[in-house]
Formats: sequence, structure tokens, C-alpha cells
Amino acid sequence: MSDIVASNETIVVVGGGISGMTSALEAAECGKQVILIEKNPSLGGRVAQLYRYFPKMCHPTCGMEINLRRARYNRNLRILTMAEVTEVTGKSGDYSLRVLLKPRFVNENCTACGECEKVVEAEFGDEFNYGMSRRKGAYLPYNMAYPQRYVIDERIIGTEDAGKAKDACRYDAIDLDMQAEEIELKAGAIIWATGWQPYDASRIQPYGYDRYQNVITNVEFERMADPQGPTGGRLVRPSDGEEARKVAFIQCAGSRDRNHLRHCSRICCMSSLKQARYVREAFPEDGMVDIYYIDIRAIDRFEDFYKKIQEDEKVSFIKSKVASIIKDKEDNPVLQGVDTEGGNRYETSYDMVILATGMQPSINREAFPIDIVINQDGFIEPDEKNGAIFASGSAADALDVNRSVQHATAAALRAIQVVNKTAGAGV
Amino acid sequence: MMSINTVMVEKYRNNFLREVEANVEEGEWVKMCMQCGVCAGSCPLGDAWEHPPQEIFMMIRAGKREDVLTSDSMWMCTSCYNCIVRCPRELPITHIMHGLAHYARRLGIQPKNNPTQWFCDVFWNNMMKKGRVNELKLGLSLYFKNGFLSGIKESLKNAGLGLNMVKARRMSPMDFFGGHGVKDISGLQKMIKKAQELEADRIDRHGG
Amino acid sequence: MADDKKIAAYMCKGCGLGERLDVDELKVIAEREGRVDMVREHDFLCSEAGVQLIQNDIDSEDVTNVAICACSRRSKTEAFNFENVAVARGNLREGVIWARPDTDEARELTQEMAADYVRMACFESKFSNAPKSSGEQSRIDNVLVVGGGMTGMTAAIEIARAGYKATIVEKTGTLGGHLAEVWKDIPDRSPYADPVDTGVAAMIAAIESDARVTVHLNSTVTRTSGAPGRFAADISTESGSTTTENFGAIVQASGYKDYDAHQLPELGYGKTPDVVTQAELEKLAREADGGPIHRPSDGKEITSVAFVQCAGQRSDKKGHLPYCSGVCCMASIKQAMYFKDNNSDIDTTVIYTDLRTPGAPGEDFYRSGQKKGVVFTKGTVHEVVVGSGAHSVKFKDLILDEDAEMAVDLVVLATGQVPNSGPDMEQISEDKEAAKEAGEEYVEVPVESILNLDYRQGPDIPQLANGFTDSHFICFPYETRRTGIYTAGPVRRPMDSAQAKEDGTGAAMKAIHALEDAAQGRAAHPRSGDLSFPQFRKEGCTQCKRCTVECPFGAINEDEDRYPQFNEARCRRCGTCMGACPVRVISFENYSVETVGQQIKNVEMPDEFDEKPRILVLACENDAYPALDMAARNGNHYSEFSRVIPVRCLGSINTIWITDALNSGYDGIILMGCRKDDDYQCHFVRGSYLANARMSKIDDTLSQLNLEPERVATCEVAITDVERAPKLINDMVETVAKVGMNPFKF
Ligand SMILES: Cc1cc2nc3c(=O)[nH]c(=O)nc-3n(C[C@H](O)[C@H](O)[C@H](O)COP(=O)(O)OP(=O)(O)OC[C@H]3O[C@@H](n4cnc5c(N)ncnc54)[C@H](O)[C@@H]3O)c2cc1C
Ligand code: SF4
Ligand code: SF4
Ligand code: SF4
Repeated sequence: MSDIVASNETIVVVGGGISGMTSALEAAECGKQVILIEKNPSLGGRVAQLYRYFPKMCHPTCGMEINLRRARYNRNLRILTMAEVTEVTGKSGDYSLRVLLKPRFVNENCTACGECEKVVEAEFGDEFNYGMSRRKGAYLPYNMAYPQRYVIDERIIGTEDAGKAKDACRYDAIDLDMQAEEIELKAGAIIWATGWQPYDASRIQPYGYDRYQNVITNVEFERMADPQGPTGGRLVRPSDGEEARKVAFIQCAGSRDRNHLRHCSRICCMSSLKQARYVREAFPEDGMVDIYYIDIRAIDRFEDFYKKIQEDEKVSFIKSKVASIIKDKEDNPVLQGVDTEGGNRYETSYDMVILATGMQPSINREAFPIDIVINQDGFIEPDEKNGAIFASGSAADALDVNRSVQHATAAALRAIQVVNKTAGAGV
Repeated sequence: MMSINTVMVEKYRNNFLREVEANVEEGEWVKMCMQCGVCAGSCPLGDAWEHPPQEIFMMIRAGKREDVLTSDSMWMCTSCYNCIVRCPRELPITHIMHGLAHYARRLGIQPKNNPTQWFCDVFWNNMMKKGRVNELKLGLSLYFKNGFLSGIKESLKNAGLGLNMVKARRMSPMDFFGGHGVKDISGLQKMIKKAQELEADRIDRHGG
Repeated sequence: MADDKKIAAYMCKGCGLGERLDVDELKVIAEREGRVDMVREHDFLCSEAGVQLIQNDIDSEDVTNVAICACSRRSKTEAFNFENVAVARGNLREGVIWARPDTDEARELTQEMAADYVRMACFESKFSNAPKSSGEQSRIDNVLVVGGGMTGMTAAIEIARAGYKATIVEKTGTLGGHLAEVWKDIPDRSPYADPVDTGVAAMIAAIESDARVTVHLNSTVTRTSGAPGRFAADISTESGSTTTENFGAIVQASGYKDYDAHQLPELGYGKTPDVVTQAELEKLAREADGGPIHRPSDGKEITSVAFVQCAGQRSDKKGHLPYCSGVCCMASIKQAMYFKDNNSDIDTTVIYTDLRTPGAPGEDFYRSGQKKGVVFTKGTVHEVVVGSGAHSVKFKDLILDEDAEMAVDLVVLATGQVPNSGPDMEQISEDKEAAKEAGEEYVEVPVESILNLDYRQGPDIPQLANGFTDSHFICFPYETRRTGIYTAGPVRRPMDSAQAKEDGTGAAMKAIHALEDAAQGRAAHPRSGDLSFPQFRKEGCTQCKRCTVECPFGAINEDEDRYPQFNEARCRRCGTCMGACPVRVISFENYSVETVGQQIKNVEMPDEFDEKPRILVLACENDAYPALDMAARNGNHYSEFSRVIPVRCLGSINTIWITDALNSGYDGIILMGCRKDDDYQCHFVRGSYLANARMSKIDDTLSQLNLEPERVATCEVAITDVERAPKLINDMVETVAKVGMNPFKF
């Protein structure tokens, strides 16, 4: 990795989701040297795991294909995967970063032919599908994974499988002796685009996410709806594989709640409306959806989308934060609570319940590699004290994709301003 | 002299929310409710409430003074704290419910013949005697509140429970003949009296 | 075909190609049929050694065109990215061996398939040239910012900070726009608790002291011509004087207009001055400047206020706005605080149906409002009855489920933002059309243009819905349909000032990007970096103007002789013009009627009685082609009779390809493009739609040829159609089996 050239005119982007990719590409296409650092083996972040986008019901991979093409052709962009920034020192226009590169055990020779995958036997829960399916110990993280290169799971190193994989590869692409490596980089500005994580639903104890199989999260439901996902796109109950025709969504599951995330995650209302459509499209005749909400935040032009769904007789909205879920004999989750419009008590059973869990920033306040201002909700504040470290996308607030991209584009300019100044450019 | 209730009505005119904020324990929290209803849903006695907590809060905000204060809903609260634990807005709902009940009683407009209220009175009198609750007498007076016959029936229904309590030393049959109390009962009684005076004073000041 | 071309074909034997295919035979085909100058094979072409082999040939053998017969163009792109040579990719891996089962029976036809892909790659390469820019580039590092509100000011300042210049053209006499009229702003920094200074004064001061920013007040843009890198704008003052300046790119930050609340008589607007809009309350608050706010009707100190949310919004009623303006909930909380911060005894009630205060800022601010004693009531207001003392707000309380009434001193209507985006050309032409059909006279409602583009396609940025400018608003929110012109702020979508600032900064980034691209002849989104551009053979042109009309990006004007005039820097390289041209005089160096036509022609056409149909698939390279690639990777096989050619956009498909294909014996043709309705996915906006329109006329051709219409299918395929895309191909094989082979084989 000694071939990475970086200077104080380099822009480092941390996180390769839609936000990080956008920031990196905008800057690189403007002629700046950019290094993109992604923790996972491939780019894409969370949007790669979504099936469709509200409100157009289009596919995230569609936009990603364009962004990946931009990345493939751009010579100013250097991508480091399985990499994490461990330390940042310095100041605006002059940073040093230490980056830990974890071993992939597969080098650039890989043609993604998949021979190694065929021979490896060990299987693990597939992270991409939130553990709803299994993958091999040698794997391509997902269909559109970029870099298009396999990964050998660390857990098979030293086992027979590892040797088999190595023997199957005809391009000398598997290097079982690969070690973690730490490198140092220079940068003029750093864009922080580490995004979000789904809030841990098992912490909402009364909903029994960890006890009831038929209570799942919205991110899992996205994978389920995807024809390339763990169920082949079938909306089924995890307990018995039966079709889930009567479905409830619980909004603000872990958001707007002092016991969990204090902030509103912004996207989950729209996301549940979208997922309600998955159900209605899968079962146009008898699919039935109830959405339990506090406020439906379908702001600005999303209102249309909300209205269309309201028109569907099979979709109902109940203003209520569900109190608890119990399970009946048929493994049906039963929702209990009070509809605050009119004050009626309900106890309704469903085939499956989806928790609209919120977005928790992927920022560890204690372990952040340099001292910057992080607000009470855990997002990066745009503060002078942060020097040339700029948040991008959902590292700054709970944002949907278009707002993430908007923010990421702005972040790219902020970084360019710094490196242009370093370069002494009055253009 | 005007009744304290009338005084309060005069004072706050139609702003019941402000009245609650000023006079009800933790009343300043009422405005923070966002009407999610999880309190109502998680209340184990929810069925029994005419107006669940979040509705009471909305009624307060809507100025429904009479309806709220004469309601027996807040008397239903058993202090299980389920709602407090769940409220996403941190409202001390249990305390507000007791505060409201207490305030209604202060004003003398609480619902009559409300069993909880009656129980409170019995409980209070029982406790004030010795500084400790006499479980046996408390239980008995509860069972016999509707007359002798039904009292016998009630006690028989719960005889098992009573026996278990005796076995577990949670209740002593000897309590019937007095039972044990706190060491300095008159000290306690003085203390309580002072507290009551202070509270009455506070309310009078508001009322005056 | 220029003579100094030297074409080399490379066969990769890696990834199973060597085992599954007879590579020696393929080499012979490349040489004899592909007629390339040089053929080489390699065991592992994408390896360093393999790439070096190619590079050496380029460097020392003067190879100008390469045909790489290996994997899909989407794989190993970085490895096979050679400068200054024309590269064609024969997709033997994903397109052939992975698309077919690895069985002995399949072997022969798989080989035939591969042979065709080799022929196709050779011919594509042969007819391509390495793209290079026209050399007519110019670079102007000044950005025109239209509108001097918060968005425009931010854009200008941010552009200047990056070392470029910005020129603001503002219609009124002051900068600041709506925000200058506002007393205080919604907080945009944690802990999001109190109203804050708007920052307008500071921003104006910054602009005034920045030598890189020029401001024209009382001015509008009366004409815009040119293209990115060389825009010319006439800036006219109110008094009538006009100067012309040149710009590299444009940010349109023309903001919004306040909704006209007179359309809400039921809410008392216009009946008493005590029913005001949020904007009007700002004025009252500014006058009060932190002191008590007085009632407009009688000057009484206000003691109670009701805020009516969604006034004339989120409603399908005539004259109402169907959308949510997204800022009014926050604005009402802020305004209620104006009262509460002055005197906490003032009653402030916000009547809402959904309180829309999203994100961390929203929820914190909501809580802060509650803490200050603002009352929130879920309800729908149906009437405001004007009284002599107090006014009565009648509403349905949705929580208590009853009709309710509230007497207040002042009613504030949360009315919405109406985008200030100029006339909607598409709507106007639709309306004209409709009027014509109905036999009525079309009455034009004059709407002031913002940019006055001299584009043949209209003076302003095309809109999508409700007057907001069109863009791919999820993944690529800034990309309008006019290259190098970016809209920002509430003209793009309703937004508050915090977002407007963010948006102005983003648009500034895009503007700088565009002017840098223009300077080097690179395409903007989505083919960013592409150096090819449409070239036009004037001699053949019949002045039919189809290219001009169909170009989704308004890149083509007309010159004085009424010939199309291409503006390279305005072009996005979709090829729609090429597809539209009936005389086929438009082409790109590496993508033309020939590069695709030759591939179609050079597929080996079996005899009619061979029972080997040929299905031509023209697949959008952005979605359908990747779907087929991924299908193959997943083992979803498809027919060995198909021959897939990626196209830049369905819009670039020239019907000659279809007629030629039918004439040369293809039995079925499938066009795979993107979704084309209002929720279009076509990255070139209109390409897929236009292709469909063109294809609807292909039936005539078919009937002339006496062929069944089922032979040609146009389908919408998404990138996720990993199962459906192969199925569409297989279905066509079945269709052909039903209707029979094409009799025109030769
Ligand atoms: C159920 C659900 C459905 C949704 N549906 C939609 C929708 O339909 N439309 C829409 O607009 N939005 C939707 N969203 C929101 C959308 O997912 C986000 O807007 C988007 O993912 C934000 O992108 P990002 O790049 O900021 O973050 P992420 O996607 O989280 O990307 C962050 C990247 O950074 C990497 N990273 C993290 N930490 C580090 C580190 N320390 N070092 C290096 N790399 C790191 C991560 O691996 C990841 O690749 C949905 C959200 C949910 C929960
Ligand atoms: S977006 Fe909707 S579901 Fe999500 S936290 Fe906000 S209000 Fe709750
Ligand atoms: S749980 Fe809290 S916020 Fe929700 S309705 Fe009850 S009091 Fe209000
Ligand atoms: S290639 Fe596309 S954008 Fe360019 S001129 Fe032709 S139609 Fe217009």
C-alpha cells in the first residue's frame, strides 16, 4: 500500500455509502486527489441493502451503478476498503491519519470468478441480509459489490477451507498470509461520512424483537422484499414461512424517545409507507396494513406518496405508540395499545409486525479519532472547532438519500475550499 | 367565603393548564405530552379508565377543568409506574395522576363514592393511628365497606391470600388487637400535621 | 474508417473462458471475419502482465483500437482503461459462458454465441475512434447566481471561498430575500432550542467585502445564451440598462413566492387584519422587536394566538397546494416562541394534523416549544369566525374526538411556498394542445421567466411537478435538464433556510464542477468525464429538427440557416439526437449508427431452416445491461440465441437498427429501457419515453415487411430485474417459436 500518494492537498473521505461516494466523486471529478476509506469490503453503505426508494419506488442500485461507473473511470479517486481511521492529528490543511487496513486475504488479481466460493464449505450469517441468510466463508458481499473482489472470512483462516479456496483460485489472488497493516496518510481536509446503523430493536423490550420471530425490523423487511434477498422477494413470516398478508408497522420504534434515540429519524415514516406498498403490491387482493404512528412525517413533495397510500382502503393509520406486543398460539404478534384519536383500546393480531427502527449515527463519541464537536444526538455539529473535518450525509443528521446527497455535495465543496487554499489557488 | 374551588376558577379563568401547572404536583409536565398514547396502552388497569392519561393531558390543555377534576380516572392509578417507564417524553405520569386526584380532593370536587378514594381515606386513618399500616384491619375494613354480608363473602374469597400473608409474616392475626406501631407516633403525627398546614397554606395563598 | 487505424483483438482464457470456449477458433474468427490487424490471447488478461501486453501493443505497435474479448465492460474497467485508444469489450464471461449452462449439449451453441460476440467486438472497435474533446473549450471561472436570497448568497460566498468568482443578479433592491423579512430564524445548530439571528446582515456584509462576488441589484437576467463554460447573460436593470457578461455556470436560486392566502376566506383571511400569514407575523414581530406584539386591528397587546397548520396545503381543493411545504411546523413553533419568550402568559396554540419536525433539529425544537408552554393540539381547522373582540377558531379536536372552538386575539395561517421557477413549457404546450382539441382558444397566463434562455426548448428549466424544477431528485438532486444550470433552494423543493444554505453550497459545488468539465470538454452527469460528443454531418441534414426537439437537455439550437447547432458543453451524451435523426447524420466517435449497426450486421445469421433464431437485445447500459450481467453471475441463464448490445440510452436507438435487423433476418428484437412515467428512472429523463414513442411507429415497418408485431418488444427493465430480464429474452424465443422464423434471412 506504499503506492498511495497523499499530500495536504488530498481530500480523505471516510465512509463509502451514498454520501461518502458522492462527496468523493464530486471532489475527484473536479480534479482533486481523493482517498475514500470504507470499513466494509465494498462500497454502497446502507442504500445497497434497500430494495426500493421512496417516493419513486425506484431501485437504489440504479443510482449506484452510475456512481460506481464514475468511480471506475476516475483516476483521481483511490478506494481503500476494509479500512478504518484510527487516529487523526494536525489541523485544517494539514492532517495526518493513521489507517488500519484489515486483511481481505484476496488481492487485486481476483477476477470475481467465484471458484473459491464453490469449494469452501463453512457458512456464516450473511451481514448483507442482516443474518437472515447464510453465505460462504469465501464470498462476494453482494451482487453489485465494488470493488468486485471476493473476501475470505477471517474465521476460515487456518482451516481446511482456506487451503481449498487458495487451491481453487487460478489467479493467485488468495493470500492467506495477508496481515493487518497500518498506514499513514496526509490530508488537507477530511470528510466524515460514516452514516448510520439501525437502532438495536431488542432494546425496545415490550416489542419482543428478540423473543418473537414474527416481529422484524424495517431494514430486515427491505431485504425480504428484494427478489435477490434472503426470501427471494417473498414477504413471509420467519416463524413458518407463511405469507405475511396482514402486517403492522410500528413507527418511532426507538426514535423520538428519551429511553432510546431522542431524535426523529426522519426517514422511517416514508420508509413504512413505501414498505406498505410492498405488501399491497405483493397481495393486491387481501394484503392488509396498519400503520401505528405519532405523526406521519411525509414532508414536502413526499406528501403525494402519503396521499396515494391513504387512498388505499386496505391501509389504515392509527395514531398510537403501541404499548406492547404479545404472542398468540399461532405465533401471531398481537399489538396492544390505545388509539389516541378517540381513545379506543385495541388488541389486534397480525401475521407479521415491522418495527420502523430509526437511524443511529455510526459515531462513537468516545473513540472518535480526533477531538471534534458531536451534538447531544450523536451527530457531528458543523462547528468551527472541527477545522477541516466536515460531516457528510447522515453523519450530520438523520437524512434521507436526497438530503444526504445534497449535504454530501456541499461537504465536497467545503473540503475543496480548504485544499484550494492550501494550494494557494486563486483560480 | 368563596369555596376554594370557586377561587381557583376565578383566578385562572379558562386557563386550566396554567392552574394545573401551578397547583398540581409535577403539573408543569403536562405540556410536554406528545399524545403518543403509550402510557394509556401500557397501563394494566387501562380498561377501567374513562379518560386515559394522555387524554387527561389533552383535556387539561383544552381547558376541560370540570371534566378532569371530577373524573375518577386518575383515581384508577395504582402506581405501577409502567407508564413512566415507557413515556418517550419523560412525563412523571403516575405522580401527575396522584397530583390531580389530590388537587381535586383539595378543591372538594373529587368524585364521591369512588372506591380508591375511600380506600385512601381508610388507609390514611389506619396509618395515622400507629404510623404503620395495619394490614389486617385495612383488609377487613375494605371487605366490609359494603356491609357485613358481602364483607364475609369477600374475606372468604381472599382467605387463602390472607393465610399466605400470615405465613410469610407479612400480616399478623395479632394485629386485630392493636398491632405494632412506629416508635414516636406523636412525633410523626406532628410532622404530618405541619406538612398539611404548609400545603394548605400554599393552596390558600394561590387561592387568595 | 481512417486508414491509420490499427486494430487488435485480445482473447482472455481466464475465468473458465479457456475451458468453456474454443479460443483458437475465436482467434481465427477475429482475424478472418473480424478482420483485425492483430489477435492475441492471454491466460489472465486483466492481470498486470495482461494489461501490460495491451499497453505495449499500444505503445510500440501503434495499436489504436482494441477489442477485448473477456468479461463485461462493467468488470475490470480500471484495468482496461487505456488512454487515447478506442476500446470495445466483447462480453464473453457474463454475456456468454455465465449466461449458459456448463454442459456438453450446450457447448456448441455457446461457442456460436461467443463467436458472434467476438465479431461484434471487432466491428464495434473498428468503427470507433478514441474520443477526444473538440478543442473548442473555454473556461470562465465566474458563476452567475440568479437570486440573492439566502440560497443565492450562500452559493456566491461558497463559490468565492473556493477561489472562483460569483455574480449575483437580484431583482429587488436588497439582498436577503424572504429571510430578510424575518425577525428570527429557526435554529440550525444544536441544541435547537431558541430562535436565532437570521444571519442575513452578516452574510450581506461578507458579500460586500468579498472582491470575488459582484452584485447586481434591481436587475434581472433578460437573456441567457451559450453553454457551460461560455454562458452569456444579459443583466438588465430596472431602469433599462443592460450589460452582457460571460459565465462558466449558473445557479438558479430564484426561491419561492408566498402562497396567496386570499384563497382561504373560510379561514378569515382578508376579513380581518387579525388573521395573518406566517410571513405577515414576521413583520409584526420585527416591529415589536422582542417587545409585546400588537394586534393589527386595534393595536391591543396580543394575549392569545392560534397557529393553523397546513393552511391551503396538503389539500386537493382547487387553488390549494397539494404538497406540504415542510417548514411551516418549525416556523410556527418559532413564532409561538416570539410570544412566549416575551411573556409566558400568552396562550399559543398550534393546531396541526401531523407535526412535521423531523430529524434531530426538528424534534429538539418541538420539545423546546413545549417546554416554553406552546400548546399543540391535533385537529383540523374548518373555519375562523371573525369577531369584534376575539376571533373564534373552529376545529375538530382529533384527540378528544369532538368539535371545538377557541377564542383568540390573532390567527396565524401556516401557508406554503410556491416555487418561483418561471413558466412550465411542457404544461403550456399540453394546455395548448388540450385547448386545440377542445376547440377552445388558449389563454396564456403570463409567468415571468427567470433565465430567459435563448434555447429553442424554452426559456426556463423544465419542471416536474407542482412547479418545482425537474431532477433525478433522489440520487442526483441537482441535475436539472439544462446542463450547467443548477437550481437550489425552494425552487427545487420546499425548504427552510438551514436547508437552503446547504442546498446553495451543494449547487455551488455543482456549478464549479460544471465549469471545470466544460473547460476540458468533459460531459456532466451521468456520463461524467466522457469526452465524446455528438458530431453532425451538415450536408446530409434535411432540417427536420427532430434532434432539436427531442434532446432532453435542450442542447441543440438552430443556426441562422435553420440547421441544428450542437452545443457540446450542454450535451449529456445520451445519443437521443442520434436515435432521432432519420438521415443518420449524428454520431459520436465511439458510439454511432455504425458502431451498433455493424455489430448487428456482423452477427452470423443461420439459415431459416436451422431452427436457430436470433434475438437482438438492445439494452440500456445503466440498468438493463447490469441486470443481465448480474443475472448471469447468479446463474439465471438465458437463451443462447440472444445477442445483447448495450446502448447509452434507449433514446439513442435509431429505427434503422431495427429495420436493418429485421431485414437481415433477426427473428425477434427486445428493447430494454428504464421506467418512463413521472417517476421515471431514465438517467436521460426522456430517452426511454422517446424511444417508446418511436417504437410505437415501428409497427408500420413491420406490416410493410409482412412481419408480426410481436417480434419487436419494448420493455421497462430495472436494474434489479435479475430474474425478469432473462425471462423476457426467453419469452421472446418462445414467441418466435410460435410465429415462426423471420423469412428475411440471407
Ligand atoms: C428501513 C429504511 C429504509 C430507507 N429507505 C429509504 C428510501 O426509500 N429513500 C431514501 O431516500 N432513504 C431511505 N432510507 C435512508 C437511507 O438509508 C439513508 O439516507 C442513507 O443510507 C444515508 O447514506 P450515508 O452514506 O449517509 O450512510 P450509510 O449508508 O450508513 O453509509 C456509511 C458508510 O460508512 C461506512 N463506515 C461506517 N463507519 C466507518 C468508519 N469508522 N470508517 C470507515 N467507514 C465507515 C459504512 O460501512 C457505510 O458504508 C431508509 C432508511 C431505513 C432505515
Ligand atoms: S420519521 Fe416518523 S417514524 Fe421515524 S422517528 Fe420520525 S416520526 Fe417517528
Ligand atoms: S406516554 Fe408520555 S408522551 Fe405519550 S401520551 Fe403518555 S404522557 Fe404523552
Ligand atoms: S446526445 Fe443527448 S444531450 Fe447530447 S445533443 Fe444529443 S440528445 Fe442532446
